[in-house]
Order: sequence, then C-alpha cells, then structure tokens
Amino acid sequence: MTRLRTSRSLAPLAWLALLALLALAPAAAAQEQELDPRVFEIANELRCPTCVSESVGQSNAAIAREMRTLIQEQLETGANRAEVLVFFQERYGDWILLDPPKRGVNLALWLLPVAAALGGLTMLGVLLRRWRAAGAAHVEADPADVARVRAVLGATDVGGPAEEDDEPWRT
Amino acid sequence: MRRVFVSGLVVTMLGALFVFGLLRGQPDRDIPSNLIGRTSPAFALPLYEHYAAAFGPVLDLEAHRGRPMIINFWASWCGPCYEEAPHLERIWQRYQDDVLVIGIQTQDRDARAAGRAFIDRFGLSFPNAIDNDSRVSITYGLFGVPETFFVKADGTVMHKHAGPVTEAMMTERIEAMLR
Repeated sequence: MTRLRTSRSLAPLAWLALLALLALAPAAAAQEQELDPRVFEIANELRCPTCVSESVGQSNAAIAREMRTLIQEQLETGANRAEVLVFFQERYGDWILLDPPKRGVNLALWLLPVAAALGGLTMLGVLLRRWRAAGAAHVEADPADVARVRAVLGATDVGGPAEEDDEPWRT
Repeated sequence: MRRVFVSGLVVTMLGALFVFGLLRGQPDRDIPSNLIGRTSPAFALPLYEHYAAAFGPVLDLEAHRGRPMIINFWASWCGPCYEEAPHLERIWQRYQDDVLVIGIQTQDRDARAAGRAFIDRFGLSFPNAIDNDSRVSITYGLFGVPETFFVKADGTVMHKHAGPVTEAMMTERIEAMLR
C-alpha cells in the first residue's frame, strides 16, 4: 500500500519529466537542423577529439557540437571548406583530419604495405626460381644405388626403366 | 645454419618491437600539440567569484603577458583532475610571485555547481575560469582533460602535458622557464 501511494505520488513528476523531455528534444534537433548541410560535410572530415572512432559530424559530444557551431560561424563569415579545415589543423595538427595529407609518418604508413607486398613478391619470385633450378639440376647417382633400385623394382615387377635411360632415378 | 641465424634475427627483432611497445609509455601522453613554439592563444574567460577580489570577474590572458604561465584544463567528472589539483595548488603557493597558474574548467555539464564544489574541495587559490562552450579548449587543441600547457614569459608555449601533472614535474618545467 505504501509502495502504491509512493508510486502514485511520483506519477505527476514522471509525467512532468516526460513532457520536459518531449519539449526539449525537438528544440535540440531544431538547433542541429538549422546548421548548413555543408557543416556536416566538413565535420565528417574531422576527427572528434574526445571520442573513439567518431567524426565531428557523427559525435554528440559537447566539444563536437561546439565544433559544428564553429564551422557554421566560419562558413557564415565567408570561409570555404579548405579554410575551415586549416583552422582546425592549425590547432590539432594533421591528427584532426580523418584523411590526413600523405607526408612524413603518414606517407610511411601508406608506403609500408606497398613495400611489404613488393618485398614479399620479390622473395616469392626468388624462391620459385631457386626451386625450379633445383628441380631441373642433373643429379649424379651412385651406380651401386641405381643397381639396388633396379633390383628392387625388378623384384616387385613394376616395370623398370630402359637400360639406356638418361635419368635412371626417375620412374 | 643460415636458416637458424635468419629465424633468430626475425624473432629478436619482433621481441625488440614488443619490448619497445611496452616501454614507450602511455601513447596519449605523447600526442603532440601544434601550439609548441607558438604564442599561446589569447582568451578572456569568466572567473569564479572566489577570485574576483584579486583578478576581477574576467581573466584576460593578454593582461598577464610577460610572466610564465601554467594553464591547466580540468573537469569535475575527471578522476585524474582530482589527483593533480593539490599539486597545482602547492605549485601556486610556491611560485605565485613568478608564475601564474590558471585553471580552466571545461566540458562540464553542470559547470558552475560542480566547479564550485571542486574548487572548495581542494581550496584552490589560483584563478579558475569557466570555458562553458569549450571554445578556448578548441583553440588550444584540447583532446581531453586534464591537459596542461607551460607558457614562457615571452608568451610561447614551451610544453604540453596530457594527463595529471605532479609537483615534481611542474617544478622542473618552471625552473626551465625561469632560467
């Protein structure tokens, strides 16, 4: 009974909280909708500084929202996409760009897989050549061994090679 | 024999890489700042009432140029900020004649109330301001909290530290700035 009374007394509060949420949600959404579509295009090129694997365009973190507002303000003052990106790059470095310029360490990261693939292919080529050369090489067999093999093959009647065979070890 | 040597070399190199990875410390401490060697960006932020008598209602960085500064960004929800706050206060007590320590609260939801509680808890007597909209944080290229910038008397940023600062570490930096 006490619990019922408590839940009844809390019901108006819950309704108020729900109404407040319903009232605030469209306001927040409207605020975001007012942003120029170009804001999100640019924001999607920037990494959110306080998030994990999210762009400024995707994140709902306070700093990301503020960065979007900042982009909007810059566009309104006539800045173009490149200028906005440079603004953030000057503060955060290349790190802030989701597609950083290919120079320095970034360039090394791009080139490393290519170099590794080329190295692997070269190594494979060298090994293949070596294996083929080893397969084609003439092997001098001991006549005594050849005679023993022939004797065994003859005994099991599987048909031995001709007398004048150049490669008597091959069957 | 040659094969054993090559295999040994590869294993040694991989081992060295592994040990290097373990010993290189926390990578987030090493995020470089683009501000190093450049003039610390100017700002004017509202101060908590605790500091009105000594600094006025607003802290204008330009008004304090000419002396070394430690600019520390913090938030009330950040655990390491609680760790470093007493260290910052001790540094302020020791160096306030030569160095200005500035605290900037950022990325806090219930900023004012939470900020007051944080300041009172540690009795912070160095000026603490609020960066309510994170604009100054963005200007300083902040990745998270706490982050601390060491600014020389000529206004150039000498060093940035991500993570909690300690008294010993700050003393070393301050002595280098005062030299």
